[in-house]
Amino acid sequence: MKIIFVARMLLAVAMLTAAPRMLAAQSAGETIKSVMPRMVKIFGAGGIRQLHAYGTGTLVSAEGHIITVWSHVLDTDEVTVVLANGRRLEAKVLGAEPQLDLAVIKLQEDDLDLPFFDLANATSASPGTRILGFSNMFKVATGDEPVSVLHGVISARTRLTARRGAYQVPYDGDVYVVDAITNNPGAGGGIITSVDGKLLGMIGKELRNAESNTWINYAVPIPEIRKVVGEIISGQYVREEKSDEEDNPERYNPFDFGLVMIPDVLYRTPAYITSVVPNTAADEAGIQPDDLIVFANDELIQSNRMLKRELGRLEGGDTLRIIVKRGATLVTLEFPVQKKPGS
Amino acid sequence: MQFPIKYRRSLFGFTLTVCAVLATGNAIAADAKTEALEEQAFKQAAALAAESVVRVQTIGGIDRVGQVLTGTGPTTGVIVSADGYIISSAFNFASKPASVLVQLPDGRRFSAETVATDRLKMLTLLKIDAKGLIPAVAAKKDSVKVGQWAVAMGRTFSLEYPSISVGIVSALNRIWGKAVQTDAKISPVNYGGPLVNIEGKTLGILVPLSTRGSGETAGVEWYDSGIGFAIPMQDVYTTLDRLKAGKDLQPGLMGINFRGRDLLGGKPILDRVRTESPADKVGFKSGDLIVTVNGKPVHRQAEVKQVLGSLYSDDTVTIAIKRDDKTIEKELTLVAELVAYESGFLGILPGRGPVGPATAGVEVRHIFPGSPAAMAGLKTRDRIMRFGETDITDAQSLLSLVSRLRPEEKTSLVFVRDDKEQTVQLELASIPDDVPAELTSSFIPVAKEDDAKDDKKPADKDDNTDADEEEGPKTGRFNVKMPNGEHSCWAYVPADYNPQYEYAVMVWIHPGGDTMEATVFKQWQAICDRRGIIILGPKAQQVSGFTPNEAEFVKDALEQMTEKYSIDTNRVFLHTYSNGGKFAYQLAFKYREQFHGVAAAAAPLRTRPPENDPDYRMQFHLLCGDKDSLFRNMQQTVGGLKRLKYPVNFTTMKGRAHKYPAEEETEEIGRWADCLDRI
Repeated sequence: MKIIFVARMLLAVAMLTAAPRMLAAQSAGETIKSVMPRMVKIFGAGGIRQLHAYGTGTLVSAEGHIITVWSHVLDTDEVTVVLANGRRLEAKVLGAEPQLDLAVIKLQEDDLDLPFFDLANATSASPGTRILGFSNMFKVATGDEPVSVLHGVISARTRLTARRGAYQVPYDGDVYVVDAITNNPGAGGGIITSVDGKLLGMIGKELRNAESNTWINYAVPIPEIRKVVGEIISGQYVREEKSDEEDNPERYNPFDFGLVMIPDVLYRTPAYITSVVPNTAADEAGIQPDDLIVFANDELIQSNRMLKRELGRLEGGDTLRIIVKRGATLVTLEFPVQKKPGS
Repeated sequence: MQFPIKYRRSLFGFTLTVCAVLATGNAIAADAKTEALEEQAFKQAAALAAESVVRVQTIGGIDRVGQVLTGTGPTTGVIVSADGYIISSAFNFASKPASVLVQLPDGRRFSAETVATDRLKMLTLLKIDAKGLIPAVAAKKDSVKVGQWAVAMGRTFSLEYPSISVGIVSALNRIWGKAVQTDAKISPVNYGGPLVNIEGKTLGILVPLSTRGSGETAGVEWYDSGIGFAIPMQDVYTTLDRLKAGKDLQPGLMGINFRGRDLLGGKPILDRVRTESPADKVGFKSGDLIVTVNGKPVHRQAEVKQVLGSLYSDDTVTIAIKRDDKTIEKELTLVAELVAYESGFLGILPGRGPVGPATAGVEVRHIFPGSPAAMAGLKTRDRIMRFGETDITDAQSLLSLVSRLRPEEKTSLVFVRDDKEQTVQLELASIPDDVPAELTSSFIPVAKEDDAKDDKKPADKDDNTDADEEEGPKTGRFNVKMPNGEHSCWAYVPADYNPQYEYAVMVWIHPGGDTMEATVFKQWQAICDRRGIIILGPKAQQVSGFTPNEAEFVKDALEQMTEKYSIDTNRVFLHTYSNGGKFAYQLAFKYREQFHGVAAAAAPLRTRPPENDPDYRMQFHLLCGDKDSLFRNMQQTVGGLKRLKYPVNFTTMKGRAHKYPAEEETEEIGRWADCLDRI
């Protein structure tokens, strides 16, 4: 660990001092130099049962508004913030939007004039764009040391279908997936920028990708959180409560369309059709026994369970478009979803 | 337990990342213009290769393969012919999906047929019914240089843009000559996708590989670590026709072991040559030194593996060996499967005297009726002095000689009876597959305080008395807290524990939901006292049962026990019941130096066990009720283990459904455990 630490320090020094002469855009060295004073280290609750008690924050106003991830670290009356120059200040949570995994905290000190990121200037980027990641991961930076820098590229911009442990993550919008290992303990609330210094996204919590069962490195694009941050700072923010029922409605099931599926014996029983009830929507659309349902409204159906979930979301008046595998060919079928009597 | 694993993993990733940054320091220090140009080049390379990169989706299939929870998400494939052949990583098909779908970059979807799998390089060939596709262009293998840019691509996140990870080529000819190594981030997100150079030409197909394992999921533990592998594209095209024929390709084996385990330093001297293996057929013998492989001189074991590691079964290889200053060159045709190894059996139990300096020979404690030893006229209390040409110093040396010979091999044996040496000829047999109905336990006298002191050197005396007064090794039933603070075990040490004698250890792996501590203790206490067995009962952290990650803790707990007590490592075995089996078998095959037996009740084996290896002796005692729904699975387990020539006893618990063994059967397990050191 010590060697790594020393190496990291040498790197930080090398980067800060070796900013080369520039012609057009900003170089990586200059970007690092300008970003570092805008990053802060956050210390709060945690420290037991392997919960880390530290995090990262990013200054978004000269008066000391800081964005970070909403986590157990902030679950305390007062959090300690350490600026890049080592100055130690107290901060209070101003507001949070758990739906976005976002919190805004404010330094408890008047007459501050700190360097900050203007969220209005944040931009977006495509896969292959080189990025730098800044965070207080693993708490390796202490005292007046700057946070750690990683480099990589944007791998993809995609929707987040991740889970944390057994829990679904609340945020389901677009994220940047990056190929640097940015999402470490304490890294949440850090940022990624392009190599020439454009603010791109806020590093999220550690998450497992539900589809590939691997930990994922991602950042939430700033435009996704910009509005809420502004509202929290100006005190106009009102949280919208999402009802839980909406997540997994069970409005329709396969039998409503005349589909008799094979018994659900395995966790991943493929959605094979055993029989089709005559004179039903499925029958009229031409679905046959032994067809395997592989897509429903463009969602991949890997099992009976997923088919049930997908059909449950339908509403009367929708069109159900399914693709079945019949022998070695794929057949697309469509039929309208009838309103259920009594609903 | 997932958290700490990830913690370690990401720390590792972090280290590598920092190193990578340092290594490519030039790139960082370069001016902004160069940086921008490089970024443009990555994007263009990806765009050039993108039209050959397809998305693969699977439907159905099992959740777990080995210990890895397989992903259900989309994966990636690469087009290798205009008429619809697509290559992907075998990892993507580890869950044996019922159906495979391929989506082309233009959005068209096809149902795919799995043509064949290359089990050496872990690639799977798919075929879709499409025409006019654009196959990937292979980069010339000899043009690939360490340090050049490498872009890893996948099509899992979005259909429009392939995912991109940028790194460099870290090494060539890795994993015994099979793969290119890269520090781009390789994970299930891009397994099966291409690793392309800056011109968009394909360097290779991304696959998980490991220096240790060889299954579909081996190497996944290195995902995103900066250690990733790709099978060179040129090699993929070379073997394409063989895969198109629809037959799986298997790694080629020649049936040899090297002497010693020093792969890098050791000379390639043959230790064992498996009967009827390709090496055996051309007449190679133990003691031969390999000097050239395919005309290339070799000096170390690793060099031989480097050549053989990338060959398939039915491939031929020319090997020259040196024997008594003569060089013999032969051409061998490699095979996919070797005849399983079966160890020979002499038919004795060695004596278990007090621990002390090595004496000459091994005392016979018990003779198995009808065994080679019995037929040669050996009796209990005889002392075996020589076996074949070798002097015997202890039971271990005799065991390793006997287990390296096969049944029906003939040898001579010298023993001492009434101070007179006698020589007998005998023919080894197979290890019997039953447990003796009677077996007198080996007597362990009660430790006397005087004895303990007398055995110690005078200098140690003070320490010894101190220790005795303060805290001698605990006996009876007690709990052990592990230093990590998360795990605990219960243990039972016979009350009259005598450190002058070696004890067996039974590691009890409880089923999910119930530690069964009371039952096991009640049925085993008397057996343990009589036969000198210590029980170690690790407890799963979650009520639902052990998770694969807890293996290390069990090993640590066992090591802690071994440090404190006098233990015969040959008689450390696992005992389990019902769904504890999965974890118990995992332990048995993962830590082959630690565990030498498994006594499993109603716990079928669901994964393929490794080959029987005389270096790591492993014996099985399986039990199941004939009314148990698992009965047939247990019979299959027995059959499978026997095919691999493991010694297996199977006891049918008559009229019993899914139940823990009754007293008479645990007695039998006790006798079996008391025979674990049979030779």
